[in-house]
Amino acid sequence: MENESNITDYYKKTAMFWSDMIAMMSSKPTTLSAVGPLRNLSSNLKKITSELTEANKEIVEFNNFLIEYYKQLADTWTGAQKEVSSRITKIPQNEEGLEAYKRVWIDIFENNFTGLFDSKKFSENYNSLISTELDLLKRWNAITDVMLKSANLPTKEEIEEIYEELHNLKNRISKLESSKKKA
Amino acid sequence: MSENKFNPKIIGDFLNFSRNFTEAPMKASVPHEVKLGSTQFDVAYKEDKMRLLHFKPLTSKQVRTPLLISYAVVNRYHIFDIDPKKSWVKNLLEQGFDVYLIDWGTPSKIDKFLGFDEYVNRYLDNCVDFICDETNVDKVSIQGYCTGGTLATVYSSLHPERVKNLIATAPVIDGWKDTTVVSNIAKYFDVDKLVDTVGNMPPEFIYFCFSILKPFEQGVEKYIKFLNNIDNEKYVDSFLKIEKWLDETPPIPGELFRQWIKDIYQDNLLIQNKMYVGNKHVSLKNLNMPVFTQVAIGDHLVSPECSMPLHYAVSSTDKTLKLYPTGHVGMIASSFSQKTVLPELGKWLKERS
Repeated sequence: MENESNITDYYKKTAMFWSDMIAMMSSKPTTLSAVGPLRNLSSNLKKITSELTEANKEIVEFNNFLIEYYKQLADTWTGAQKEVSSRITKIPQNEEGLEAYKRVWIDIFENNFTGLFDSKKFSENYNSLISTELDLLKRWNAITDVMLKSANLPTKEEIEEIYEELHNLKNRISKLESSKKKA
Repeated sequence: MSENKFNPKIIGDFLNFSRNFTEAPMKASVPHEVKLGSTQFDVAYKEDKMRLLHFKPLTSKQVRTPLLISYAVVNRYHIFDIDPKKSWVKNLLEQGFDVYLIDWGTPSKIDKFLGFDEYVNRYLDNCVDFICDETNVDKVSIQGYCTGGTLATVYSSLHPERVKNLIATAPVIDGWKDTTVVSNIAKYFDVDKLVDTVGNMPPEFIYFCFSILKPFEQGVEKYIKFLNNIDNEKYVDSFLKIEKWLDETPPIPGELFRQWIKDIYQDNLLIQNKMYVGNKHVSLKNLNMPVFTQVAIGDHLVSPECSMPLHYAVSSTDKTLKLYPTGHVGMIASSFSQKTVLPELGKWLKERS
């Protein structure tokens, strides 16, 4: 674990070092020649590099939770199948038997999987999986914001500010309308 | 020497199934082209994406107090009018009720900040205002289904003077007592991270929750049964309507979802009378109007243990709790609901309207 963290730190530092160096080395010619989106992008590249490097750790975590998720499903499937096999010998081999087999199969699988979905271990792992996925999404959003800023377009945060402003305005109008009606 | 014998019945069943599988596209409609809802209505009032539907009367004389149905925030309102023979709304109209229904609409990114406060103190309250103005009454009867039952309960607690009768159909009330797999996921869910990152609760997540509810009965057996019944027109029609309804889940506004998960499932504030909506204290003791709680014993979405505590928490002396041997959807859209649930509700409501 510690080793993994050291490697991540090493790559992170290396990436930051070189992106800073390149930005410094190229700053003079670019400031002289560019004021447009490319200039913005070059100065924001550091942020993108940082997000991508940080994302590595989360990709590993996501992968671990995903493996555990499929392991839980596979283990439950195997357990249910074993249970079905142990019961099948007691079912007669005729027409009714086939119907009974179908019922037994569905009931056992249903019970085993509902038991899994109802368990703390499933919920904790599933929610950790979602949580890591959301961390990755956050980084993706941050990178997209850098690109949007470079293109002089409003970022997600800026659009949300407008949404919130609109929401508050609607609430204020609604309260005014309601107090006017009561008066 | 033993001889392998194939059972002709089994071979016949297999061949039939293969034939049904091949012929299904010719015999059934394309699910997304299936039309939902048959009872006529007018859009009486509209605010943002919310619409208040007013159904056209089917009787010459109507019950004095209008009935407002607060639909859930999951899926769309069509389940109340999915099929003329199983329509909740049509049945109530035929019993002489004046029926209004709230369609919450399909929230988009701009609706992320809508929360309990807006749903209860703005949308629901404005609908009640509108109905009272239009029908010249001071109070309405409110029925809420599933999460709509929770909204109706919260509304009735904050505005008891506007509610003549409260009918809570499979309401989400006591989150800690809910034994469904949905509540198990909700308990450990990092709702802040989801809302802060994504905004609204995406429908895909709701589909995931559906998929872990009886995964083999609902995910496998149901479709085999459908193919086996492909020649039964009524069965196919009803199946496709329900499937289409299940497949049309709108996102849930972020702030509403955040408070929902935290206050109802994680901290369980509603039943403990500790919940606040728009800075106003929600106490179930304020529910002094007649209350009818309808619970389905086989409910795998909102377990009976989660809904029933409402009956015991209200201060009303006129309260009724009914348990029905059916499921979450069966309680409102089935021949059972037509024969049992709706006549009982109609009788109860007429006596108090």
